[in-house]
Amino acid sequence: MPPANGGYMVAAYVAAAVIYLSYSAWLYWRSRGR
Amino acid sequence: MTATASAERALRRGGVLMAVGLLMVAGVYVRALLFTPEEATQGLAQKIFYIHAPSAWVALYLAYGIVGIFSVLYLFLRDPRLDLLASSSAEVGTVFTTVVLVTGPIWGKTIWGAWWTWDARLTSTLFLYFIYLAYLVLRSAVEEPGRRARYSAVLGILGALLVPFIHMTVYLFRTLHPMPVVLQPGRPRVPGAMLVTILYSFLAFTVFYFGLLWRRYAWARLAAARAQGDAEGGADATR
Repeated sequence: MPPANGGYMVAAYVAAAVIYLSYSAWLYWRSRGR
Repeated sequence: MTATASAERALRRGGVLMAVGLLMVAGVYVRALLFTPEEATQGLAQKIFYIHAPSAWVALYLAYGIVGIFSVLYLFLRDPRLDLLASSSAEVGTVFTTVVLVTGPIWGKTIWGAWWTWDARLTSTLFLYFIYLAYLVLRSAVEEPGRRARYSAVLGILGALLVPFIHMTVYLFRTLHPMPVVLQPGRPRVPGAMLVTILYSFLAFTVFYFGLLWRRYAWARLAAARAQGDAEGGADATR
């Protein structure tokens, strides 16, 4: 039976989403300034 | 069309590709979490691979590869656009490397029992990260555009030279890091449903990278066009 390590998977997915969304939002908002 | 208008159009198109890339990456999450089987020995933690590996592909091979190529071209041709493209790619690549260095240890903790180990693959990737952090610091520290472009081109090339070495670390050294399953000679060593998720994730993160790169490059061009316009108008170009 595979080990129960879904928490690690969730942590990695959330961390990646936070990093990518933060940079995307920063880039989008900073670059649209007039 | 003026340089400013052209950069503004590129900015809008880059924004659209960024949004498409983000949607495709969201698709990776859905596909990996809901429609890909659980691996028998590693359990759910194996699914970290679908984020970690394509991020590494984009960061090391695409982003830093483009930095290396366009830095070499800059040193030969001295066209400022080549410098802006290389530096945009370095910044975006560093975001992807951050994800690689965050998701890797989370996987390592549950599979190896340790967050970090100083083996060749991990250590050389960390050093590559430091080189490109230094690249970004260097760019913010040098104000004269020509000198900034020249210095950062040299550092960008030196950093990119590490990439083939990092690729080979798993073969050259006794390392804990798994061998490649896709970017290797021979057929991929994974079942079909997982292979589809892997290939789609590589595609999605590649599109996302080009969206970010396009937007970042257009922004850099816009800033350069405005600075030049200010300088020609007699205003303070450093504003």
